[in-house]
Amino acid sequence: MGATTVVKARPARPPSPPETSAPLRTGRVPTGPGRRRRRAGMLMVAPALLHASLWIGLPVVVSVALAFTKYDVLTAPEFVGLDNFRDMLDDAVFRKSIVNTLLYTFFTVPFGMALGLLVALALHTGLKARGIFRTAVFLPQVTATVAIALVWLWIYNPGNGLLNTMLAFLGVDGPAWLASTTWALPSVILVGIWQGIGMKMLIYLAALQSLPRELYEAASVDGASRVRQFFSITLPLLKPATFFVLITSMISAFQSFDQIYILTDGGPANSTTMMTYEIYKSAFREFRVGYASAQSLVLFVLLMGFTLVNKRIMGGSRGHN
Amino acid sequence: MATTELLEPAPALRRRTVPLGRIALYVTLSVVSLLMVVPFAWMVLTSLRTPVEIASQDAGLLPEHWEFGNYADALKAAPFATYARNSFIIAISHTVLNVLVASMAGYALARIRFRGSEMIFYLFVAALMIPTYTKVLPEFLIVRFMPLAGGNDILGQGGSGWLDSWWALIVPGAVTPFAVFLFRQFYLDLPVELEEAARLDGLGEYRIYSRIMSPQVKPAFITVALLTFESSWNNFLWPLLVTHTDSLRVIQVGLSVFKTENGTQWHFLMAGTTLATLPMVVLFLIGQRYFVQGFATAGLK
Repeated sequence: MGATTVVKARPARPPSPPETSAPLRTGRVPTGPGRRRRRAGMLMVAPALLHASLWIGLPVVVSVALAFTKYDVLTAPEFVGLDNFRDMLDDAVFRKSIVNTLLYTFFTVPFGMALGLLVALALHTGLKARGIFRTAVFLPQVTATVAIALVWLWIYNPGNGLLNTMLAFLGVDGPAWLASTTWALPSVILVGIWQGIGMKMLIYLAALQSLPRELYEAASVDGASRVRQFFSITLPLLKPATFFVLITSMISAFQSFDQIYILTDGGPANSTTMMTYEIYKSAFREFRVGYASAQSLVLFVLLMGFTLVNKRIMGGSRGHN
Repeated sequence: MATTELLEPAPALRRRTVPLGRIALYVTLSVVSLLMVVPFAWMVLTSLRTPVEIASQDAGLLPEHWEFGNYADALKAAPFATYARNSFIIAISHTVLNVLVASMAGYALARIRFRGSEMIFYLFVAALMIPTYTKVLPEFLIVRFMPLAGGNDILGQGGSGWLDSWWALIVPGAVTPFAVFLFRQFYLDLPVELEEAARLDGLGEYRIYSRIMSPQVKPAFITVALLTFESSWNNFLWPLLVTHTDSLRVIQVGLSVFKTENGTQWHFLMAGTTLATLPMVVLFLIGQRYFVQGFATAGLK
């Protein structure tokens, strides 16, 4: 800023006090264009800040506070200490939903990441028509999860859905996928992997394109095989991207709701219910808002915990985000 | 293969593996792409079949008779047109508000230093990381107890607040921290000379923002607009929670209600789903470059 103030002191405008952030601390009341400028800045950020305070800041505070109350919306909340968390320990369905959420995440995220990376590597070879392939793989990502779930509901239809029709063609008698306690969760996981490949591929592709070419040339000269190059150069350099994909995919996998609502309604016998679904049920079907807030707090803490553990294992990430 | 190897000159030997690998690559990618596209094709094909054909076990791959009338009938079976209109109004409102409010905030945070500007930026970054399910219950309560709205008194008691209103559908999701963050990144990259020159010309801060700096970051505007429209059109949970009347239903909720009420009418359901999917597919094909840019930054859906 120091250098630019020289440019500013031109005859066109009376010299103004140099504009830096330092004068703010001198206690002197700033005047002139600098002050007007700062005021404009505050006014410009105000609408977004107000909006975020009311619809994000306040909710976070309220959510934590309500977790320690009994509240049914109609009567005033009543402080109950840790009762909600104690109730959760006895809530077999909620425990089941935690296990399901973890299973869903631990299957969709790593498998999706491996497939996304493979497709990205294939697209990075500079072959023709890669745009078409990229579009096809990314298409599910821009489509509403509700629409996707409806299509898969029809594909999984036990009578004459696409999947069982094709299996019958091969002489296999397909099960009632979403109505079976064995197959429902794997079926939901498959949809999750299918929908998520595009995003993971995209981030990996962007990362691959920014890798330095010289390294590979040097490695080729040294006689390193392509497999060796992949494990010794590509994979380590993709670490920041991997961390980024891992965290963001985990956050969205943890919060899957739409597909559960459409595909299985959490059933059969709670075999596909997720934490988000239990929060929804507690709050909007049973009107136990305090309990639901406590459940959402558990979800938040679990997510934060996993993020921190990942950061620890991956040694943090620089470069991305 | 052996013969070509013998016929070709020695240097070609090394290149021989490339075309083979290429072919394997094309085949693999084609299979993957097919797996991604088949559900969409299945959706469209089902929407063009007769119910009889859908129920029969030995229907062909393509419909025997293309029933384009299914779409007109589906629109009669459920007010999908109204649902789509509602979704469109909300998505456009979100897009306009987000682009306007978030770009101003992003500009101020990138280019103007004022008391607390750094802290405000970190607050937005923190807000970016709050999961939906931490916010959604209290957001619902704020809507429900909105003072002086929907029959509520000044303390938010007695009525239903903003529930079942356009306010609830539009206001809470209007501005996203992600958009503020993305705009800030774009404004940061602009040269300082640009605004200095404008300031010398006597332009005020708002003019510098709207006339000088913003035209330089058009890609940011397009990216935020497309991503906002997309996520608004595809949103399900929030409209599900705050609306009950049919006239305010959005397309995604409308589809799920239709599924519950007429679960076996696959031709109508798939016609409705196609109608709900088509705008996003078209938008994506047109603005693919910006979607890719935005998603690569966001990573979050």
